[in-house]
Amino acid sequence: MVIDPKDVVPFLTWLLPALGSWLLVVMGVCVVVTAFGWLVAAMRHGPIRAFSITSHVFRNAWGDLVRMSPQRIWALARLAIHESIRRRVVVVFGVFIVVLLFAGWFLDPGSVDPARLYLDFVLTATSYLVLLLALFLSSLSLPTDLKNRTMYTVVTKPVRASEIVLGRIVGFMAVGTMLLVVMGAISYVFVERGLAHTHQLSADDLQPVEGSTPGQPATLQGKTSLVHQHRHKVIVTPSGQTSVETEQGHIHALTILKDGDKVSYKLGPAEGMLVARVPVYGKLTFRDRKGQLAAKGVNVGDEWTYRSFIEGGTLAACVWTFEGITPKQFPNGLPVEMNIEVFRTYKGEITKGVPGSLSVRNPSKPDNKPVEVRIFESKEFVPNSQHIPTQFQMPNGKRADLFRDFVDNGRIELWLQCVAPQQYFGAAQADLYLRAQNASFAWNFAKGYFGIWLQMLLIVVLGVLFSTFLSGPVAMLATLGALLGGFFNDFMYRLATGQTYGGGPFESLIRLWTQQNQTSPMEPGLQTTTAKALDQVAEYFLLGMSTILPDFSHFSFADYVACGFNISSDTLLTFTCRALAFALPVFLAAYFCLKNREIGK
Amino acid sequence: MQSETIVETRSLSKVYRDFWGRQKVRALKALDLEVRRGEIFGLLGPNGSGKTTTIKLILGLLFPTSGQALVFGRDATDVTKNQRIGYLPEESYLYRFLNAEETLDFYGRLFDIPRAVRRQRVADLIEMVGLDWAKRRQLKEYSKGMTRRIGLAQALINDPDLVVLDEPTTGLDPIGTREMKDLILKLRDEGKTVLMCSHLLADVQDVCDRIAILYQGELKEMGRVDSLLQIRDVTEIRVAGLNAMAQQEVREVIERNNGHVLQMGNPTTTLEDLFLKIIHESQEHPGRRVRGK
Amino acid sequence: MGSRRSFVRKIVYLVLIAALLMPLYWLSKPATSAVKGEQGSPGGVLAQLRSKDHLSQTQLGQIDPGSVTIKLATLGLRGVAANILWEKANDFKMKKDWANFGATLNQITKVQPNFINVWSNQAWNLSYNISVEFDDFRQRYRWVIKGIEFLMDGMRYNQHQPRLQWDTGWFISHKIGKADEAKQFRKLFREDDDFNGSRPLAERDNWLVGKKWFEETVAMVERGDHILGKGPLLFRSDGPMCQMSYADNLEKDGTFGEVAKNAWAGAGREWQRYGTAEIPTSWKNEDTQTPVVIRLGEQEMHEEAARKLIKQIDAMEPGLREKLKAEKRAALSKAQREALDTPPEKRTGRQQELAFQAEAEVDVTHREVARRLSDKTRKAEALKLAKEAADHEQLASYISRYRDIVNYAYWRQRAQIEQSDGLLAARQIIHRGDQAYAEGDLINARKNYQRGFEGWRKVLDRYPSLVADESANESLTDSIKQYRRVLGQLDEPMPDKFILQDVVDAHLKSQGEEPKKKQEELPDAAK
Repeated sequence: MVIDPKDVVPFLTWLLPALGSWLLVVMGVCVVVTAFGWLVAAMRHGPIRAFSITSHVFRNAWGDLVRMSPQRIWALARLAIHESIRRRVVVVFGVFIVVLLFAGWFLDPGSVDPARLYLDFVLTATSYLVLLLALFLSSLSLPTDLKNRTMYTVVTKPVRASEIVLGRIVGFMAVGTMLLVVMGAISYVFVERGLAHTHQLSADDLQPVEGSTPGQPATLQGKTSLVHQHRHKVIVTPSGQTSVETEQGHIHALTILKDGDKVSYKLGPAEGMLVARVPVYGKLTFRDRKGQLAAKGVNVGDEWTYRSFIEGGTLAACVWTFEGITPKQFPNGLPVEMNIEVFRTYKGEITKGVPGSLSVRNPSKPDNKPVEVRIFESKEFVPNSQHIPTQFQMPNGKRADLFRDFVDNGRIELWLQCVAPQQYFGAAQADLYLRAQNASFAWNFAKGYFGIWLQMLLIVVLGVLFSTFLSGPVAMLATLGALLGGFFNDFMYRLATGQTYGGGPFESLIRLWTQQNQTSPMEPGLQTTTAKALDQVAEYFLLGMSTILPDFSHFSFADYVACGFNISSDTLLTFTCRALAFALPVFLAAYFCLKNREIGK
Repeated sequence: MQSETIVETRSLSKVYRDFWGRQKVRALKALDLEVRRGEIFGLLGPNGSGKTTTIKLILGLLFPTSGQALVFGRDATDVTKNQRIGYLPEESYLYRFLNAEETLDFYGRLFDIPRAVRRQRVADLIEMVGLDWAKRRQLKEYSKGMTRRIGLAQALINDPDLVVLDEPTTGLDPIGTREMKDLILKLRDEGKTVLMCSHLLADVQDVCDRIAILYQGELKEMGRVDSLLQIRDVTEIRVAGLNAMAQQEVREVIERNNGHVLQMGNPTTTLEDLFLKIIHESQEHPGRRVRGK
Repeated sequence: MGSRRSFVRKIVYLVLIAALLMPLYWLSKPATSAVKGEQGSPGGVLAQLRSKDHLSQTQLGQIDPGSVTIKLATLGLRGVAANILWEKANDFKMKKDWANFGATLNQITKVQPNFINVWSNQAWNLSYNISVEFDDFRQRYRWVIKGIEFLMDGMRYNQHQPRLQWDTGWFISHKIGKADEAKQFRKLFREDDDFNGSRPLAERDNWLVGKKWFEETVAMVERGDHILGKGPLLFRSDGPMCQMSYADNLEKDGTFGEVAKNAWAGAGREWQRYGTAEIPTSWKNEDTQTPVVIRLGEQEMHEEAARKLIKQIDAMEPGLREKLKAEKRAALSKAQREALDTPPEKRTGRQQELAFQAEAEVDVTHREVARRLSDKTRKAEALKLAKEAADHEQLASYISRYRDIVNYAYWRQRAQIEQSDGLLAARQIIHRGDQAYAEGDLINARKNYQRGFEGWRKVLDRYPSLVADESANESLTDSIKQYRRVLGQLDEPMPDKFILQDVVDAHLKSQGEEPKKKQEELPDAAK
């Protein structure tokens, strides 16, 4: 799975600088807004009066925020829940069920990684539905109340604008949470049931391996029956030991049943399909072919620069530095798992992988050479597990103790090198990690849904904000725009900073219209000049939007769940904080908008 | 005197503007009003005269363009004043998906009324407005009269000191109208202040202690109903059981004293006369206050 | 008055709606089939177009509910949806997210099931581009098969697109049989029960299976289906060529004797049959303006017929042709004549040009001979014969040109030679030598190699064209290299006069190396 190294920063390391810049931004916005408010008031009532008006607004706001009554908020939230149910939340639920029913047509259990496909699907389907629902509910509710004037009877009670806004947010979040819980439970069952299978294996399927002497008890091998478009290779030794080869990321337990002379075999349910690996990530640096530190490895011509490559048979290496490694956490040594890409410049031996090596080094002794611990054969696109024991023999014959000799203050370096000359290994930071005890998959699944919950929170606060000053349909469109902008944040940023082909939106429009390709320069002329000027404006706007809007796609944890990685508490906390950090100012803005709106108009 | 004043407006003005900030309507022009504790104050005027605007300004639903509206001595935009106000809007704007009990319970919660008190009061009010038989039905199934009653009940959920009623009798049948009027009087008797507006003259005349007449956003007349309707140089005599001879005698007595018999018979609703006269005069001399306090 | 106007307006609207519905009816009336004597209707324009282009899925006896739902769900924006999905697939491919890539392909085909390029290109993507991304050859094989299965899926939706069958044949035969890892792939293919199903083990050769698909393609085209982007000359050759490769690979895998002989015999027969297939050419018949149709096997027949006719013409007045030729020669300029007399390899550039012109000028056509007959009574008959002869010659030359494209004559001869006992035996002995070498039995290896080379010598003496034929003696040059290594390990020098030196020289020449100079490095080059 693809992980941006920025996303795996420990929570506390992230928090302080992030909090600092957040406070700075919020305060900056406050100052600008206050100055603007004062200016508007000054134009109408004169500067001195404006000062008292501004301070009055702030005093009021302080009172409205501090004296919020939980009971009133809950009453308003209950109303929002009631209203949502009236608005046929059930329909969304029905759609979800229908989608699941028909999903079987499009989900291929015989795919390379069916678990990933299934999980990706349920998480995506749920998030689309729930986010759309949140969008409709949150952006239409207040305008409807204003239009029907039901708001009259509410605001003439001792209800503060802050309570109305917060009540709506709490209410819609409650509805969404209920929906998410139910959908999550159903999805879980759907995935479990969709992937559950076992195979048949009869005695006839097994043949003695080649080269075994007739008459003697021989090692048997064969293949199981075809279920979900795959079979497992099975080996049974004369002593009754069995091994089942991994297919599509899972295995089955094989038991031998003996009934007199008759031997039958029974395979258990699929294991290892739905997992939550707990990776401990290190920090990746590269060494070039002379062994010097390098920012990056070699590019072997891939368009995608996520992974960097190192040349085999040289001193080039990928070096991961791990921190906080303790014997308590890894009493049996380091379980390394890697997803290494291989790039061959010549065929080499077709039937064998490219050999590579794993070495350890003590980071506090920069003069020491890394000590080779493991030689392995490359495997691509499936996790390759290697184990670094606590005790091992060094090349010079001495016995080494991993934690005594190589771990310094919890820090250790792992060196990945390619042994075969002129062949290449490619890796990114998240491609090699230490594998701690698996976390509970169900819990991880729930955390994935929590990611949707966070996205929903963002949508709801945005929807409520827009609905405080826009009419229903317009508020809905604005929220939808924010949602799309949030999902395409990255693209907007690249567009605004000129990192895309074909120029800005207006230039692209001309190219599209005149069917020019993306890279040839535009013909100079009035048309081009105008388009470029408009693009300049559009780019400022896009840059602003991409800065303001949260990057929605980052809040999706679907990839983690689908690829079988545990969502760390660091990630969870970081993103929860990010969501709240966004929600809070939006809530304040919504409060101000509603407070200063004439309800009776 | 100060504590006696519940609602006060000081040269309250409201100008409606369109999206571009251009002036559209001057809905209210420098209104000065005072509503005192324990009275029933009626705002009178034809449609579009600024009654509802005034009420919305007093409730803080609108912000004044200039001037001030004070309720219980506090600014109208201060939400804490709402603690002691009950408001029945022109039409009962209620959540149609709630039933009567839920509606009252919801509004009760907005006042932070403790659970036990709330329950009791909800039951009492439903009983009072006579909807006990339909309290579990959603409001969308209610008739107009029933909606009006539950609207009134919600306005009284907090046992308010000031009750603001916007056109309280519209849409009610004669019996309903009578009941509403009795209720308003009963509220006054309980010591509450009532501010109501209406274009139905009979209602206002019946129940109001004082009235203000608005026309095109301007205050045309204000005062006690009885004194407003008193015409000093006109004496009205109503006698029952007088025979023709006696009537002749009375006429003679009047004529002897240089009086002049105008009419003898059943009196008309004179408020209507007053009202129409004011409107007539306003149309002839726009902007002039008809008669001093 | 007002109500009357609005009534009229309503009537106008109704008429307009009806008028608009008419073309819709005309366009999309569904087709009905004939029931109990009642005549079925061919349906509206769309229905007719659908059936003309074989797009109606109901006629396949099955409607894929998934595809239909998606088509409905995209509300006429199928093209847009397919485009977006295609972009997504490209992105997944770039990011090497194979699970999602496969899923996206499925979605595209559900949206656009009748767009052949999707099936064709994406199958290619799977079998060729994605399979090589994997380092493990077993995984590579799985992706090749995925591409093939993808094509077979496509056939379910498109029953009249032989292109899919042809691609399937090509993938199974060439992708599996000619890849770098062909040896492993072929083995995996043979063992692949899931793909082969109940196909007996003996027939599980990828070349044979591929051949079946090519034959199916030919059969479909003969039934009237149109194949996209393939000329008849080439795609008809694919089946027989597969049989050749099958026979060739049998020997590479160590199967000789009757089996190999029969395989080659089969290849010869199929090639012969290929020679009898009617192949429309790009030339037009001058009279009928239809494409000239040829049969590859008939070149000799036409040449023979032409020869006979010419003989008849010449027999009418012996010596006439020579006389005419001499006349024409006399008319040539001096320079031309000189150029013509100079032996071709000694001509200068200018002379070559002159000679070319001169040859065209002195050429005597059969028609000219007939026209100049002194016996005028037989002139008509002679002219007729002349035309026939010219036609035969023309056809023979067309055939010869088409033959060159597919190397017809070579393969016909090759199939013939390979069946000869001498070559079969030589190949088998050398294979034994290879085996002995692999087992480390150097003495036996040397013995077998030497005997095998002798056998080869005899074959080469009989068919000298094989000496420089890389395709035929590819394994032989490998064995010679092996033999050198054997000698090296036995500390024996390479014989001065190596019995197959001509093959070695030809091999080195084809590698672009000088035979003499680099000869010593031959064994190392194979390292």
